Amino acid sequence: MTVTGYLADFSLPELFQLVEQGNKTGLLTICTLTDPTTVARHNHHIWLSQGQIVAAGNSLDQQGLMRLIAQRGWMGDRAVSRLAQSCQLNTPLGLCLKNQGVLTAEQLKLLFYTQVMRQVCALFALPDGWFQFDPKAPLPVSEMTGLIATATDVTLSGLRALKDWDALDEKLPDPSSALISVVESKPSLRLNPNEWQVWEFTNGTMAIKDIAQQLNLPVAKAQQIAFRLIVTGLAEEMPMIAAPPPAAFELAAPTSLEHGYATSVTADAAGAAPVSQSFLQNLVGFLKGKV
Amino acid sequence: MEIMRLVVTGPVGAGKSTFIRSVSEIEVVDTDRRATDDALLIKKRTTVAFDFGRLQFGPDMALHLYGTPGQSRFDFMWDILIQKAHAYILLVAAHRPHEFREARRIMTFMKQRSPAPMIIGLTHTDCSGAWDAANIALALGYPDPARRPPIVAVNANETASVAQAVISLVQFTWAGSLAPAT
Repeated sequence: MTVTGYLADFSLPELFQLVEQGNKTGLLTICTLTDPTTVARHNHHIWLSQGQIVAAGNSLDQQGLMRLIAQRGWMGDRAVSRLAQSCQLNTPLGLCLKNQGVLTAEQLKLLFYTQVMRQVCALFALPDGWFQFDPKAPLPVSEMTGLIATATDVTLSGLRALKDWDALDEKLPDPSSALISVVESKPSLRLNPNEWQVWEFTNGTMAIKDIAQQLNLPVAKAQQIAFRLIVTGLAEEMPMIAAPPPAAFELAAPTSLEHGYATSVTADAAGAAPVSQSFLQNLVGFLKGKV
Repeated sequence: MEIMRLVVTGPVGAGKSTFIRSVSEIEVVDTDRRATDDALLIKKRTTVAFDFGRLQFGPDMALHLYGTPGQSRFDFMWDILIQKAHAYILLVAAHRPHEFREARRIMTFMKQRSPAPMIIGLTHTDCSGAWDAANIALALGYPDPARRPPIVAVNANETASVAQAVISLVQFTWAGSLAPAT
């Protein structure tokens, strides 16, 4: 199903996490929302295969990679176009040119870096944009180098390089929240020293603001690192209890309400008292009468 | 009196109060705005709020429904409600992707503090821009369909729909107990 929305609601790092975890194949289009008084809008396209980024560009004319090659001065548009005609139907253009000895592996890497890493990472700073993920869009072999990057790697690189976090400010975990690991062993991602340090505190007991203090980091910096750990699937934000109960408050508060209706509540002890099978059957039977 | 306590949780605006109101036989007690009778006793001593609804279906059998406090601040009241719950339903508005992360935070909080079973109820599934269940499951951190809680669509305004959601929750929680006798 096509997914649509706004980056202000569901951010690009969250989107990348979704497409990677869902092993999605298709086309993610991001339309930047510029000044409403102007009509100038820019589309960015990111193609994914099985949750991995295979190509990116700002047009759908199938000429983006050829233009990049020409801009580098490695070959003219026409020459690339001619060579492309001899490529096999499902072979990425970059790989085909490499197989023909026209491009080296290093040149392909450079192309991929320019086409995907640089262009996509710039999108993390967008304050807003409309997005659409179309799972039916075909993969454009003429835009593909044959190299791939996991969405997680792109997210990690993009967020590490991000200078202005205003666009993601509302998405950052609360300083009073803790972090809890969601992976069983140590992360296989290559974390930087600060990320490793924060990772060591993903046991759900220390608030991010306290982690920041412990590591001598600004709180905002610790929040940004925590966000990176969250959107790369290593940790979850774990809200902590904000305040202890007032001294006069009895811990059986729900039963205080119930006493108005029932005088023999038996669940005052911690946890819920078990219910009988006849209770369950009666309840389901009763509710079925309302359906 | 045998009582089952179900907690209805979710981000602000997901439909928690409406959900409880749709199935409760008493007027839902909002301890924040309508501090009367027993609720007044609590209100005098606290500043927290939760909805309370009730459904009696036998002389000594009742279902109690608690809506978690509306504010995003997690205080001790959450803990009290969770610890007493037999099961809970997380309501998520399918057309508000900006709330998915908050729903995820709530879920993490609940799962860490209580082993009570949970299902996910999607509200506003017929609204423009609503995401489908599979993508919402991904957004909530469930990539594997075989390892996620049941997800049901629910119209919090309709008694029948809410009743069906509660049936789903009960059947999921006590699947073994409700199996027909052989």
